[in-house]
Amino acid sequence: MPPAIVAQRLVKSFRAGFFKPGKEVLRQVDLRVPHGTIFGVLGPNGAGKTTLISILTTLLKPDGGTVSVLGLNPVKDAVRLRQRINLAASSAHFLWCLTVEENLRFYGRLYGLSGRRLTAKVEELLALFELVPHRRVTFENLSTGLKQRLALAKTLINDPELLFLDEPTTGLDPEMARHLREEILRLNRDTGLTILLTTHNLREAEMLCREVAFLKDGRIVATGTIPDLQARLRLGDRVWLSYKNGVPPLNFQDTPGVLSWTRGDSEVHLVLDRAEIRLAPLLTEISRLFPEVPEVRVKEADLEELYHELTH
Amino acid sequence: MNLLIELNKIWAFAARSLIVNRRNVFAVFEMLFWPGVSIFSVGLLTRFLKLDQETVTFVLIGAVSMNTIQIAQLDLSYCLLYDVWSKSLRHEFMAPIRLGHLLGGAGLVGVLRGFLVFVIMGLLSTWLFDMDLTRPGLAALTVFLTGMFLNAAIIGILVLVLVLRFGHRAEVAAWAFSYLLLLLCGLYYPVSVLPPGIQELAKFIPLTYFLEYFRHFYGFPLLSPHPLFYGYAQSVLYLLASYGLLLLTLHSARKRGILLKLSE
Repeated sequence: MPPAIVAQRLVKSFRAGFFKPGKEVLRQVDLRVPHGTIFGVLGPNGAGKTTLISILTTLLKPDGGTVSVLGLNPVKDAVRLRQRINLAASSAHFLWCLTVEENLRFYGRLYGLSGRRLTAKVEELLALFELVPHRRVTFENLSTGLKQRLALAKTLINDPELLFLDEPTTGLDPEMARHLREEILRLNRDTGLTILLTTHNLREAEMLCREVAFLKDGRIVATGTIPDLQARLRLGDRVWLSYKNGVPPLNFQDTPGVLSWTRGDSEVHLVLDRAEIRLAPLLTEISRLFPEVPEVRVKEADLEELYHELTH
Repeated sequence: MNLLIELNKIWAFAARSLIVNRRNVFAVFEMLFWPGVSIFSVGLLTRFLKLDQETVTFVLIGAVSMNTIQIAQLDLSYCLLYDVWSKSLRHEFMAPIRLGHLLGGAGLVGVLRGFLVFVIMGLLSTWLFDMDLTRPGLAALTVFLTGMFLNAAIIGILVLVLVLRFGHRAEVAAWAFSYLLLLLCGLYYPVSVLPPGIQELAKFIPLTYFLEYFRHFYGFPLLSPHPLFYGYAQSVLYLLASYGLLLLTLHSARKRGILLKLSE
């Protein structure tokens, strides 16, 4: 089966003023997203993630390069392609005075649903996203979480083959974010739906994505599975082991899960691929070899911070 | 192309406009208050000036036309402004719709609301100022109303062009644009009272001809030999041109990222 998305040497720039030169937002981007996968595009703010998604969803025309989404050209076959894809943006926005149900009905009609099919689909989505009690609440009176749920419900109104999620869990409480991640996984597992999502959250990407691409300053700097990418870019959780009486002769060379390590006079700094799995056996081994118990500080991988450190 | 699906997409925009109008108290204001105020103020002014019944009718036809066009074009102008205000523009433009669906749906509600305003103002002017809007007959009324709605569509589409070009800032244009055109087409006065250079401009506004056609049933002379031909020919020409301009503006908006900016 051909990939769901193929982009080659994709270029996009925006001009800030008539006489000002254009600012390149995407620079020769190459991307291949296989069918049936959850693919993550990771990168800091301003990396070009939304621009990339906007081109793939026909909202923006590229300046150069070639793009194929579900075998269609997003510029020339835009209307046909739109029937088969859908998008949820990071912050949900719908017409303020329409209720949850009316918003879903409106978009259902835009995607060609009517009569019983429309009613059935709306009911299904209201139930799926637990929006039934809020069906008659206008959008302006919904909480942030409910707005985001409505946005996700809307993305499924046309049973898309390819779903674009632009930072889907932004603004959600942890419980709702977890629920949503589970829903994304379920959709992919049960229906084979291809999903491309952008996120800042490395944990989220790790939990959801089979493969990711890292976008920085409009360029894809790395593509692969999360462990591959972490190993290649030295991304991971940071652990500091502090010793009051000086650091014992520790050596983490070839230790499984240790991506990098540095040693100071009183502290060892480790980068682990997954601290929640690696740290406990590592500390057990250290305490078996050396009697002094170190003070341990852990900081979960922060994509932007780590990326900044590693690329500057 | 499945006709039912196409009609359903048009209905989506019409139904949405109806809901927004129903929930918006100001929409009722637009339809009742301003037209009412207009008829009262213009009608009372004609009494104060002790105008003869013919001149009163001339002026009131202008007042009725202005409000009908103004209301009819608003739904079209607002159909994108709603999305700009609610930042939901990108959802519409990534749905499998064409501009025709949007214009058709919003235009339909505009025609409905415009027609209601015409009826309300017609009844008020008959009741208060003895003016009979039905005198030209059903056929002439239909021709006149169609002409007005075509003009409203042109104004509405041009406002949409401004919305896609300038976003929120085009809000004012939704009202201002129509006032400017209505000023030039001899709404409350014969075109002959306009300054010489401006009179020429009036000839390029289709509403000038529709007003002339409708007023001739009340005894006012026809100034051009075929007002309906000129009125409809210009209307169709401008409608096609404004639609083309809207398509070009949308193309440019997709290129320049305006749709995204208006959704932020």
